[in-house]
Parts: sequence; C-alpha cells; structure tokens
Amino acid sequence: MASSADVGLDVRTGLNVRDLPEATRGGLDHRVEPPRPRSGRLGSPLIALVSLAIGVLFAAPTGYLVIRSAALDADVWSTLRSPRTWEPLSRSLTLAVAVSVTAAVIGTGLAWLLTRSDVPARRLWRLLAPLPLVIPSFVGATAFLAALAPGGLLEQLLSPLGLVRMPELSGLTGAWLVLSLFTYPYVYLPVAARLASLPPSLEESARLLGRRPVAVFRTVVLPQAASAIWAGGLLVFLYAISDFGAVELMRYGTLTREIFSTRLDPATSVPLSLVLAAVALTVVALERTASRRRAHTESVRQKRPLQVPLGRWRGLALAAVVVVVGLALFAPVVVLAYWAGRGLANPGSGTVELTTDLGALVAPAVNTMSVSLAAALVAVALVMPVAYLTVRHRSWIAGLSNALVVAGFALPGLVVALALVFWTLSSDALVRLYQTIPLLVFAYVVHFGAQAVRADQVAVAAVPRRLDDAARVLGAGRIRRFLTVEVPLMLPGLAAGAGLVLLSAMKELPATLLLAPPGFSTLATRLWNANESNHFAQVGLTGLILIALSAVLTWLLVVRRADKLD
Amino acid sequence: MRTVSRLRSAVVALLAIAIPLVGAACTDEGGGGGGGITLTVYSGRTEELIRPVLDRFREQTGIGYELKSGDSADLALLIDQEGDRSPADVFISQSPGATGFLEQAGRFRPLPEDILDRVAPAHRSPNGSWVGISGRVRTLVYNKNLVDPATLPRSVLDLTDPAYRGKVAIAPQNGSFQDFVSAMRVELGDERTAEWLRGMAANQSPVYANNTAIVAAVGRGEVPMGLVNHYYNVRAQAEDPNVASVNYFFPDGDLGSLLLVTATGVLRTSSHPQEAEELVRFLLAEESQRYFADQTKEYPLAAGVPPGPNLPPLSSIEANTVNFEVLGAAFRSTIQMIKDSGVER
Repeated sequence: MASSADVGLDVRTGLNVRDLPEATRGGLDHRVEPPRPRSGRLGSPLIALVSLAIGVLFAAPTGYLVIRSAALDADVWSTLRSPRTWEPLSRSLTLAVAVSVTAAVIGTGLAWLLTRSDVPARRLWRLLAPLPLVIPSFVGATAFLAALAPGGLLEQLLSPLGLVRMPELSGLTGAWLVLSLFTYPYVYLPVAARLASLPPSLEESARLLGRRPVAVFRTVVLPQAASAIWAGGLLVFLYAISDFGAVELMRYGTLTREIFSTRLDPATSVPLSLVLAAVALTVVALERTASRRRAHTESVRQKRPLQVPLGRWRGLALAAVVVVVGLALFAPVVVLAYWAGRGLANPGSGTVELTTDLGALVAPAVNTMSVSLAAALVAVALVMPVAYLTVRHRSWIAGLSNALVVAGFALPGLVVALALVFWTLSSDALVRLYQTIPLLVFAYVVHFGAQAVRADQVAVAAVPRRLDDAARVLGAGRIRRFLTVEVPLMLPGLAAGAGLVLLSAMKELPATLLLAPPGFSTLATRLWNANESNHFAQVGLTGLILIALSAVLTWLLVVRRADKLD
Repeated sequence: MRTVSRLRSAVVALLAIAIPLVGAACTDEGGGGGGGITLTVYSGRTEELIRPVLDRFREQTGIGYELKSGDSADLALLIDQEGDRSPADVFISQSPGATGFLEQAGRFRPLPEDILDRVAPAHRSPNGSWVGISGRVRTLVYNKNLVDPATLPRSVLDLTDPAYRGKVAIAPQNGSFQDFVSAMRVELGDERTAEWLRGMAANQSPVYANNTAIVAAVGRGEVPMGLVNHYYNVRAQAEDPNVASVNYFFPDGDLGSLLLVTATGVLRTSSHPQEAEELVRFLLAEESQRYFADQTKEYPLAAGVPPGPNLPPLSSIEANTVNFEVLGAAFRSTIQMIKDSGVER
C-alpha cells in the first residue's frame, strides 16, 4: 500500500501534498490529478483475483450443466436446432421483454412518487411497495386465478350488479400480468435507493432554471436513475425467463416450462437448461455493453430530499399507487384471507384435520427469517469485490465474474439445487456440508447473488470518487477508506440489495425442498405442502404470515433507513 | 452512533447464523432417540399425508425417521444425482413416472416376497423393485349446476365426441395425465392413443396446469368438466361443502377410471435395508391402510381394508396392470406424443 498516492506525494510535481496549506492542497490536487483510475494500481490485481474466485463459485450451476451435457452424451446441437427449443425460447424472450418493460415503468414511477412527490401516505406506501416480491409466483398466480378468472371471486362479487363474464386469464397476458405485478420491486427498490441518495441540487437547479417537473424528470431524474432502472430491469428479465410457477399456472409454454416438463428425461432437459444459461450470459453481456455508455453522477447523502408538489395531480397519483399496490399486494392478500377464513369456518370436515394451528408455523417462520437474513448478508458482502471491480476497473475479469454471478439468477432453482448436490457430493471434503444450513444459504447466495451484485454496483457507483481521493490524500489506508468513507455512503444501496435477496430467499422453493436438512421447513415449503394437498385454508394462513414477516423485515432493513431522509 | 449500528449489524448477523443452527437441532424431531437407527425417507407425498403414519411407525418400532418431502419427480432426480452417496433409505412416490425413472436407473433394492405378496400383482413391480401402498383413481369431475349426470359418458374414450367440444378440461403437462396416457398406450396401443389425443385437441379441450386448477375451475363453473384424480375434489368439498364440483367414476372398469398407485421402494444405497423394509411392511399393515382410507381418502391396496364411503369398490375400478418399467421407458415418448397431438396448445 506504499504507493505514491498513499504518502501524499504527487509524482509529477514532486511535492508532498501534506506540506501544503489546506487551500492550495485542494486546488493543486484538482489541477494535477490525472484522469482516473489512479487509485488501486496495486490494489486492483488482488480485487481482480478475488472477483475471479467469486465468479468461479457462482459458475457452479453453469459448470454442472456443461459437465452433465457432456456426460449424457446429449446431442446438444440437435437440441439447439430443434423448433422445440426455439419456439419456447422465443416465448420466454417475448414474456421477459414485456415483463421487464412493464416492471421498469411501474417501478420507476412508483419510486419517484414515493421519494420525490407529496403523494399522500408516502411512508405507508414505502413499506408496502416492495412486498409483492415476497409472494411466490405459484401462490400469486393461484390467487389471481381464484380472484379474476371466469367464475372467480370478483365475478361472484359483481354478479348482483349483472356483470356477465370475466375474460379468461391465461397465456402470455396472464403470465405477463402476474409476473409484472410481482417483479416491479426489483426496479422499485434500487431506483428508490438511487433517488434517495441523489443530490437534490441537480433537480433544484433545473427547476430554478424554469423547467417543469415533467421536464426535470425526463432530463435530470431519468438519466441519473438510468443505471438503477437497467439494473432492476435486468433482474426482472432474468426472473421472468427462469420462472416456472406463473407460466405453469397461466399455461404459457416458455423454455423453463419445457425444462420442467421434460426433467425426468435429462438428455432433453439438461441441454435446454444450458440454452437458458447461454441466453442469460448473452443478455448480461449486452446489458453491460449498454451500461458502459451511461454516465453516473456521484451522490452524497442529503439532509432534506426534494419534494415536488403534485398539485391537482395528487389525487391521480394516489389512484395510480393504489391500483398498483392494490393489484400486486391487496388482491392476493384478500384471496389468502378468504381461504384462511373459509377454512376456519369449516373445521374438521373429515379429511386430514385443517391445521390452522398458528403454533405449528412458528418454527418455519423462524427458519425462514434466519436463513434468508443470513443469505442476504452473505450475498451483499460476498459479491462486493465483483461490484467494486466492475464499477471502478473495467476489465475482462470484471465482466466475466459479473456475468457468472448474474447468470445464476436465470436458471431455475431446481437446476441450481441439483448443481450444488453434484459439486458437494463430488468431493470428500465437501460431503459434510450436504443437507446442512450453510449449503442452503450458499444455494440462495448463488441463486440470488445477481440481485446483490446489481445493487452493490449501483451503490459503489454512487460514491463520489473525490471523497475517496480526499481520504487517501489525508493518509487513510484502503480498508479504512472503504469502511469509513465508502460503506456509509453505500448503505442505502446495500440495504436495497440485501432487501431484494432477503425477499427472494424467503419465498424460494425448489432449492429449499431439495437442499434443506430433513425436517427443516420454511414458510415456502409449508405453502407448497398445503397447496399440493389442496389445503387452501393453510395456504391462506401461511401466505399471510409470510407477507407479514417480510413486511417487518423490509421495514427494519430497507424502509426505516430510507425514512431517515423524510 | 456508527459503532452502535455496526454492533447492531453484527448482532443481527450472528443471530442469523445461530438461529437456524438451533432451529435445525430443534426440528430433528424424527430421531429415534437412545442411539437407535434413523431412516431417511424421501416422500413425494406431502408431509401432512405421511407424517402421522411415520410417527406411529416410530412409536411402535423405536426406529426413528427423517423426512424430506417434495415433488416426486424432483426427489427422483435428487436421488439420481446423489448416486452412491444418497442418504435416502426409502422413497415414497406419488407419481408412476418418477417411480419408473428410478426403477430404470436401477436404484431400487428388490423387496422380499413377504412384502410383495401383500398386494395384488397389478399393484407392485414385476421385478420386485417397489410396491403400491395406496391408490388414486382417475375421474371426471363435473359441475352439478352445468351438467346433467345422465349425459355423462360411459367411457373416457367418448370424450372426443363433438358433444363435449370445449367442455372437458385436461392438464397435459401434469404427471398424472401423462401416466394416464402411458397406461392408455399399454392398453390400446400407440395408434389409438394418438388418435384419442388428437380428438381431444380437435375438441378444443381447455388446458389447465394441474388437478388443483381444474377442480377449482370446475367448481366455479369456468369449465363444466375435467379429467383429474379423485382425491382433489374430495379435498375441495372438505374445505367448501357448497362447492358445485362432483366426482364421476367411469363404470365397468373403463380405462378412464385408472388406478394410479402411490409406490414405495427401498433404495439400493440404503444403509439400513432391514429397517427400511420394516417401514414398508408397516405402510402395508392394516393400521396404515386404514389411515389412507379414512384420512387421505385414497384406495387402500393391502390388508383387505375397504375404501372410504362414496367411493366405488376397488374391484370395480380398472385394475389393469400398468407396467411401470414400461411407463418409465415410455415417459419421454409419452410426453412427445402429447406434444405432437397439439392438445397442449
């Protein structure tokens, strides 16, 4: 760490900066400092090595698919050329594009309204807005069908008014609606975090110069939030191509659905999964190329956020918020409550007793909370070097590790789980980890690391380099600079990343079913059990507890921090 | 201030790691106690439907158990991936496809004669790999407000008649429908099966994700009828006595009333094969069979226990031998055949 920078010696002028009076120091520094990246000429190889190692860890699922394909002697080429691959793949891509665009619009709009405007009950909406993410898509889709399909609850409710028939909810439309409503928080959370840490001075200046709020949004806010929107949009895209629950119930034949329906025939399903991984890697690479051209303005934590009075638009804005949160959160909650209530009203109808015993859900709730929290913290910390490298030092190593981390999100949980089974059991040293909590947490980290790395990247990009430079000039070491200068500034972004991983891990099902120690149940596995047994009373009860628990954790981790700004 | 928040984060992190470890220790409730043997059971049946029986087994024998519940096909893939290191002793499969997959992979340890002899030859593996413990019957669920029972068909093969156009829901991507099609192939041959599937496709049979979704749709009147397993509507009626959906069983041993067997087998890699066989015997004993009849509303397959009320006797149900080995081998081509018929839409 004894670089010239650390001792404050400017190479070109030969002056020891610390010897200079304060006033000249800043000015001199400003004048002579070459364009970045000057920092970390020595540090970056280490970070690069660490990132590469992390990338290799995250390559576990893709590596497994390659090895399996080879071992199965699968005819990868004929699988790739077959219309049975291309047709589902094109449906996957259609769905993913539609869902990510919709989620980007909803998430960005909501984030702006809840951080920048005077829409009523902002604090409440800020607590509720991220929650739809915790609803497992099979539960959400089942609830949506029960509520909105022909003959469903809404139709029964409206029948006295003479409404004839609800339109059929299925296929692309159904899957698009359900996935958009349950994934917009992937955009909302990072964009809200970005806006919370964006200096209001930019928007204030624009307004003082006479720009109308809409113009300010278009010319200032949108470009500044662009990286967060892209980050979130990419996650939505990858989620949409990996989702099984919603497309299955909405009967939309995507590639992932094809993988599931052929899973007992690995010679077909493994190459198909490989195609999914390749698509993910390609999309990540494309997104990264696009993100190179985007500028970031570094941010500081401001004391008072800007607030745009909506005036006569206030009612309309509130209506929009109510519609989004109402459809994505209240509608499923009402259906879950209806199921729970109906079950409680008809106890003991002869089959297996209606387990509406809340006590039986305490252990699953504690389990859910603790493994998800562990996964969130580990994920945010583990991918930090990768995020740091991708933002600060663009290199092929950065790109590769980033792509490997992100691609894990595009694969179905079942594939991630089987891959970890393969790797754990293939080595004598790792066997002891099999079906233990640490392996389950690691599975979550591999599966959801993408969410952490994107949030970490947004957070790192938001730290002003000038502060770091100043601290370095003042003689602070790299680690100390990182912990005392950068981490506090990154906190809103890191919290958003942890929140995303947390909510995803809480609802994760296939990997949990396969990798958790026997007898270790989570709320998601209870939900699956209840749904499989057609036990809707318990689906309702368990679903409500899952949502309530995630509300508490989201508030503690994400919202409270952001609310300090209010 | 910052120190406080860092301290708080550290505490949260510690808790996050400590709690699940404690939790894991707590949930190990199936342990045998006193250093006894503990069996690892992988079950495609949900916990609610199997844990009470396993608890009784532990009480009576002192042999403990650990239970992993999940989708039958997923668990079969897990056992396959685990290979020689699989901790599983016993596999209970809800789906013949998953059973056939493991049988084909040679993962079962043949069961002794005394176990196999407890069920009819139709309900066990010809090579002794597995034995059926309970059964579910394919049925036509219909909405009593929309359908006159007198107009219901005598055979599942009649559903391709134009009279049923757009009226019969199916779940072609669901395991039990696929098993039914495989059985039809064994019974009637590929040509007639493909013809039936094309007929269903031409009749524009509405497609649903699974049995649960069909029963729910029939219940709310979205579609008048649907092909499902009998058990789902029994459950739906338990939760909502006013539900309009009713089970109809095709008469005279029609293929439409096929019995799908919940199978169980001991794995070749089991480290406690004797105790594992003991568990299989217990699942076939009268007490467990009665549980399946009374509590889970399934067909008992052993010990002469009759099925619950409102269910036709086992002898009137199609007890045609569906060779699971054939089923397993047919699995891939059955899926392909379903796809090719265009019935999935």
